[in-house]
Amino acid sequence: MAEPDAVQTFEDGLNEIRGAYGDALRGAKDEPELRLINGRYVGPQGELTKLLKLMPKLPADRRRELGQAANALKQEIQATFDAALHAIHRGAREAELTGPALDITLPGRWQMPGRLHPITRIRNEVLEIFLSLGFDIADGPEVELYENCFDKLGFPPDHPATDEHDTFFIQGNRSQDPESVLLRTQTSTIQIREMLKRQPPLAIVSPGAVYRRDDDATHSPMFFQLEGFLVDQDVTFAELKGVLTLFLRRLFDEHISVRFRASYFPFVEPGGEVDMSCVFCRAWEGDRGRTAACRVCKGTGWMEILGCGMIHPVVFENVGYDPEKYTGFAFGMGLDRIAMLKYGIPNIKLLYENDVRFLSQF
Amino acid sequence: MLVSYRWLQELCPVEADVAEVARRISLAGLEVESIEEKGHNLADVVVAEVRAKNPHPKRDNLTLVRVFDGEDELDVVCGASNVPEPGGRVLFARPGAVLPNGMEIAARKVGGVESSGMICSEAELAIGSDAEGIFVMAPDSEPLPGAPVAEALDLHDFILDVGLTPNRPDCLGHVGIAREIGVLFGVAYRPRKAAGPRKAFTAEAVFETSQPTIELAPLWDSVADLDDPPTLPEISVEIENGDRCPRYGAALVSGVRVAPSPFWLRYRLHNLGLRALSNVVDATNLILLEWGHPIHGFDLDHLRGSKVVVRLAKDGERMSTLDGVERTFSTDDLLICDGERPVAVAGVMGGLDSEIREETKDVLIECAYFDPRSIRRTSRRLGLHTDSSHRFERGVDPEAVPQVLASAAGLIAELGGGAVATTAIDRIASPREARTIRLRPSRAAQLLGTPVSAEESLRILKSLGCSIVEQGDAEIIAEPPSWRPDLQREVDLIEEVARVRGYDEIPTAVPRVHPSETGTPGLVKTVDALRDAAVTAGLYEAINYGFVSTEDLRKARVSTDAVRLANPLSEERAVMRTSLLPGLTGAAARAQRHGASAATLFEIARTFEPSGDALPCERTTLAIALAGQRRGWIGGADPFDVYDGKGVLAAILDRVFGRVPEVVPGEVPAFMHPKRSAVVTLESRPVGFVGEIHPDVADDLELIGRVVYAELDVAALYGLAEELGPPQAQGLPKFPAVTRDIAMLVREEYSAGEIAGALATASKGLAESVSLFDLYRGGQIPEGHRSLAFRVTYRDPEATLTDKQVDKVHASLAKVARDRFEATIR
Ligand SMILES: [Zn+2]
Repeated sequence: MAEPDAVQTFEDGLNEIRGAYGDALRGAKDEPELRLINGRYVGPQGELTKLLKLMPKLPADRRRELGQAANALKQEIQATFDAALHAIHRGAREAELTGPALDITLPGRWQMPGRLHPITRIRNEVLEIFLSLGFDIADGPEVELYENCFDKLGFPPDHPATDEHDTFFIQGNRSQDPESVLLRTQTSTIQIREMLKRQPPLAIVSPGAVYRRDDDATHSPMFFQLEGFLVDQDVTFAELKGVLTLFLRRLFDEHISVRFRASYFPFVEPGGEVDMSCVFCRAWEGDRGRTAACRVCKGTGWMEILGCGMIHPVVFENVGYDPEKYTGFAFGMGLDRIAMLKYGIPNIKLLYENDVRFLSQF
Repeated sequence: MLVSYRWLQELCPVEADVAEVARRISLAGLEVESIEEKGHNLADVVVAEVRAKNPHPKRDNLTLVRVFDGEDELDVVCGASNVPEPGGRVLFARPGAVLPNGMEIAARKVGGVESSGMICSEAELAIGSDAEGIFVMAPDSEPLPGAPVAEALDLHDFILDVGLTPNRPDCLGHVGIAREIGVLFGVAYRPRKAAGPRKAFTAEAVFETSQPTIELAPLWDSVADLDDPPTLPEISVEIENGDRCPRYGAALVSGVRVAPSPFWLRYRLHNLGLRALSNVVDATNLILLEWGHPIHGFDLDHLRGSKVVVRLAKDGERMSTLDGVERTFSTDDLLICDGERPVAVAGVMGGLDSEIREETKDVLIECAYFDPRSIRRTSRRLGLHTDSSHRFERGVDPEAVPQVLASAAGLIAELGGGAVATTAIDRIASPREARTIRLRPSRAAQLLGTPVSAEESLRILKSLGCSIVEQGDAEIIAEPPSWRPDLQREVDLIEEVARVRGYDEIPTAVPRVHPSETGTPGLVKTVDALRDAAVTAGLYEAINYGFVSTEDLRKARVSTDAVRLANPLSEERAVMRTSLLPGLTGAAARAQRHGASAATLFEIARTFEPSGDALPCERTTLAIALAGQRRGWIGGADPFDVYDGKGVLAAILDRVFGRVPEVVPGEVPAFMHPKRSAVVTLESRPVGFVGEIHPDVADDLELIGRVVYAELDVAALYGLAEELGPPQAQGLPKFPAVTRDIAMLVREEYSAGEIAGALATASKGLAESVSLFDLYRGGQIPEGHRSLAFRVTYRDPEATLTDKQVDKVHASLAKVARDRFEATIR
């Protein structure tokens, strides 16, 4: 009779495993060790697995009962394992939460973004304000016809008004011939191009590179301007003042003062220049001593920032608009200068040297 | 222009300090750029009388002078050779005085002799330019020893630097600015008569009788007669080109003595930036500064043929100008000639031969009106910009000729002691056409956005010197004054109304803007989006000049068929760039020279190519340069290579267009590495290139190491974006994917991309992606081979794939690898 032996062996086996498993697990330090020990009992070669292989040899009438006992043990083992695993996890987490901190001073690790050029940055700031007022952006060529740069804008021939526009001509063109080709000296050319192309109402701003034959401590032969204009029926000088005052306050500080002075540009009449409170000595704050000592505004509290005026009727005539029907205003500013003011850039040349140490500051 | 506040107050007194005057005229368009006080910084400099004068005991060239400074007698060592005899008065800086140049005066020993103070020259006190000798008071002057120099010489003044716009020639003299102050302060400016000469003579015998003449006497406040008029030849004026010289006046002063000017005149000129020369020349300069009308003095003895002829030059005609330079003229240059030869370049500069010199006795004064455009062309052609041409090219007041002549003749005679011919020539070859302008106050109100009354308009126009031809509530017809050539049409008068009232008096309003339906042009948006994406991807934006040198283009091996400047500032910036490469790599090279570990730059700008049309083709390009090293986390750093370039392009394009570019073999520019560069395509359309710069080019551009460079054609990208439209949502996969790996050993010449593409094709649409996940060379791998491992993701959009299906397809992939690429599947 081999049967009682088999039963005995099976039962003993179960008891033995039950007795040994819990103790064995208690010796495990971490999860891998725990799993290793667990494998010795329930893995493919594990003791319980081996024992279960004896099942067919058990007498048929006991098989069911012994099978249930084995299953119960299996569940017991699983529960013991889960509890032990949980304890180990918990222990590790406790250790992490109470142990030494991670060295957070090691460098971060990500692709850092680059930077926009300060001129682009200021251009975007300026554009954002005008776009919010309903203006559109327009663009034009940098190499232009004399006609678009001067004649159509109302510059009289042989007139000293062109003195401020020391012009680069393209080879073979060096005269006041309307067909002469040159590097635009002002973004006002875009006024002409847009007005020739479209009909009022127009509200346009146009930033871009312009060129003049000046190269010294305060001039760069290429620099950036932003021109804006509005044409409609009944556009007024009061509105010009309103738009530019709003613009400057948004761009610099809501508290600054803005004043308009008469001035002259051939394509506007009345023409003006705009001064705003000096942003270096924060003149609007009224600290007279600080303003008196300010080298930027020379103690005046004012700094020149924009040119502007009502579009000259001759410009409207040149583009085929009826100057009795339409009025408009135009303004222009140097983006370089505004960037220098706003970002405290001491020297215009820095803008075009593209020194990485400079570019990374904006 | 420099302006004396004192002089302005003499011409048009107003009760306002200099700051207020400066503020008001600035707001009205005469921008005061600076104000400098004069004569306030000479404390402890006084008039002193010379009491004794002895040679220095040890030094030959020094004099020991005993002076009385009103309080004490002091011994001073003086180095000047013109120390006056005892009784003469000098300017003395007491010990403790600080001179304008910062020099502190202290008692000290000079050559062993105690010297207590300093006897000063004009230059040392910054009251003149004479540094040769000490300043000696005129014997008939009043100040007594001890009088402060500022009072003794009446030095106090403010000098304003006024930046004048070219439309306001009327303000190029003190009279004009005084007139403007009168308008702004509501004070009537009345031109005063000039001081009359002490001696005058009737000039019948002098000017040819057939010439139109003016009587100067009524323009003076007094005039005395001379019994025996000088005997002078008969002089005539002929104008050959009346359009160039509409008016020419000439007056005569006889018997002058050329000598230094009195101090007040020299001081005034000095403060206004002119050098005092002699009384006659100084007088012409003072008249220029007063009236803004240039005049010229000829030495009558050197005018041949007793004649003045105003005519255009003959081609190649020559004359030496006052500055000693021989000039050659063209037929567009207007000359003043005598009976034989040119004696002045009209309105620009006098001739050397007829200039006023020490022996000059008789002076012919010219006061004319020349065509502004003519003067400007000549001045520019000769490269000769003078105080005279500056005014004539802006337009002087043609009607001022008699008054200016009378003032000039009176002043010269007063200073030089001559006699003036009471009759002067005034030849009008082409009369000024008076113009009238209509001003509608309603139009002014509409343009300014604030009410404007007829009454206010009239008041302002009158104060400006306009003659009112007609006046009503609806419109005013006005004739602008002869000194305001800038007032041409209604809007000019509207500006005058606004300006005189003050721009600050106009309210502010917010316009109603009609935004367009199209909005920002797409190309501008694309450029902005690319710029932002480039920054996000880690690049720094550069902005380079649009012009470069031909050498830059040649070194970069880009097209040298460039748009060339006619008048570049230098050869370094003589042509418009045909590529962004020189500028951007220049910045990278500079960064490398500074020792930067990495320069990751981009630029979006235009390049220019001759097009055959008048204007060149302007193309907007995005260029990228990566130089140096990509930083690892800690310590690790690898040089940038092509894959960084490819990666940054993918990052930029994916951000802007939602699509990753392909990089495929193809033709790249000559400056790119032939084996390490390729064409960039987006949706199979070429949009640029990426790779390493050709090593030879990199050497020429002075770049260190391998520099990665890429360009994208912005217009092509924009066109593509327009075609592709906005992203369209796709359904999410309904069925799971299955991944399988395939590793193979292949020869180097088969590219990973080629193999991946073939595998994808072989999957008959079941492979959703084929991606390289391992690349290995060396070790067990035979020479010239590499091991590539791809992960293939299979998905059937319509059903769940079975293992069997996948096994079958995957096997067909392996077969393709073996058959087409001689691969050994591992
Ligand atoms: Zn300030």
